[in-house]
Amino acid sequence: MELNQILEETNQIFKHVLNNPNICLTSTTTASDIDEWDSLNNIRLIADVEQHFNVKFKLREILKLKNVGELCEGVQKKIA
Amino acid sequence: MIFNSWEFASLFILVFGVFYAIVPQLRKWVLLIASVIFIGFNHWGYLALAVSTAFLTFGSGIWIDKYSDDKRRQRIFTFSLVAHLAILIFFKYFGFLEANVGAFIKILGFKWDPTITNVFLPLGISFYIFQSISYLIEVYWEEQEAERNLPDFMLYMLFFMKFLSGPIERPGNFLPQVKAKKVFNYTQTSYGLRLIAIGLFKKLIIANHLAGVLNEVFASVQDYSGAQLLVATLIYPIQLYADFSGYTDIAIGGAAILGYQLSPNFNRPFIAETITDFWRRWHMSLSFWVKDYIYEPLAFNKRSWGVWGISYALLVTFILLGLWHGDSWNFIIYGAIQGSVIIYEMQRTKWCSQWSKYLSGKWFKVYNIIRTYLIFSASLLFFKIEKFADVSYVLRHLFDGIRATYKEINLGMRDHNIIVLSLAIGLMFFYEYANSKWDLWGKLEKRPLIFRWSFYYLVVFIIFSFGDFGATDFIYLQF
Repeated sequence: MELNQILEETNQIFKHVLNNPNICLTSTTTASDIDEWDSLNNIRLIADVEQHFNVKFKLREILKLKNVGELCEGVQKKIA
Repeated sequence: MIFNSWEFASLFILVFGVFYAIVPQLRKWVLLIASVIFIGFNHWGYLALAVSTAFLTFGSGIWIDKYSDDKRRQRIFTFSLVAHLAILIFFKYFGFLEANVGAFIKILGFKWDPTITNVFLPLGISFYIFQSISYLIEVYWEEQEAERNLPDFMLYMLFFMKFLSGPIERPGNFLPQVKAKKVFNYTQTSYGLRLIAIGLFKKLIIANHLAGVLNEVFASVQDYSGAQLLVATLIYPIQLYADFSGYTDIAIGGAAILGYQLSPNFNRPFIAETITDFWRRWHMSLSFWVKDYIYEPLAFNKRSWGVWGISYALLVTFILLGLWHGDSWNFIIYGAIQGSVIIYEMQRTKWCSQWSKYLSGKWFKVYNIIRTYLIFSASLLFFKIEKFADVSYVLRHLFDGIRATYKEINLGMRDHNIIVLSLAIGLMFFYEYANSKWDLWGKLEKRPLIFRWSFYYLVVFIIFSFGDFGATDFIYLQF
């Protein structure tokens, strides 16, 4: 799957979980860029991304992610 | 040795003088020797345990780092973690565990005679064990290389400006600073001195003045009327804040003078609109510690449970945060209240966003700030009062005799003290507000020398004139 497509689908997940239709993710977006993306919602986002793409992350993989781009790259590697 | 003592002032001045007088290569040794004196001053046992723990952490880090095989690293990490927790549990929770196991055994109908009634509680143990655990986790997660320089590591563990009550430092923030060359910096020194002055103002003028009267009220709640209990309950968060943030200001300021930048611990907590936000602003080095090392792993493991998994992780995390403060059921309840309110607030946020058109005005914000303060004040009863029965008494009688006179609700404080306290509390909150909006100290720096030094002398004069120099410990020393 192309990285752009993963980013687009991840964007839809973020809009749904964070209940904010105006979210527009880029590969450099981080939690500090989106008000609703806090430590409580972070877990829900990861769970929904995993479920949507049918992949599983380890905790240490999640902790090392620096931005949305790295999350999408992680998904791409796992579904490849 | 506490920060507001002449012994500490003498030690600090001596350390400062020697630190900048000798060659930079030896400066960390000055801090290490000062830390050893500072910790051992009260009891050699405190020093022995802190140094032994630091050795254990140092060795464990190198041992974990030695292997690349995940399973072996995990085994060593688990062993090290259990060893550190065993130290904490033995020294801090042994009596509590023994009493509760004893009570349970009695319920089952067996005889039980507790043999050990009192274990010596080493100063700062909760802080340095958490710092050790943070280091071990970071090494295990490969976020941090194991430190191989023993003196550097010892300074990370024992540095006297943060040893007693934090901030709980992460290795990634502190260890690089130990290795950096330290040179005298006028701006940093004047910043540190200003922070120390602010800390002393909070501690000596606000916290100490309130300590005497509030300690009396909460020690014998049955002797006070409902209105007096209500006033004490509402004021206690301010005393605790002035005390702990005052301590933190002195710690950060003192460290800054010696060339170290410690982590912030408070960010205007009383403007928080939710308890969730409050814990991002209150005792931040502890709340971020539990978030990173307890909440996130727990919530991640239970992510398939959805909201229930997050709720479970929050409740466990905050119960442990409460228990970190001390070995009593009241601290567990204190933590459970925080966790439960945050779980409720997760649902409330959804509800509020549905009605955001009606619930986003200035008055709703004010209502939320007051609501958060009241919830925290009520929960602090479990933090402050030792016996559950006494907390229950306060909660049942909080609104008795609401028509009390001024004479009653002043809790026996003299008018002069009430005026000083009110002005000092107002000034503290106004300063924090103004400093968040404008760079107050930067503006002061641009003023003429005579103006600046007149201002500094005025602050020192105020502290000496109105400060309560009675030997009152910082509240968080007990943890």
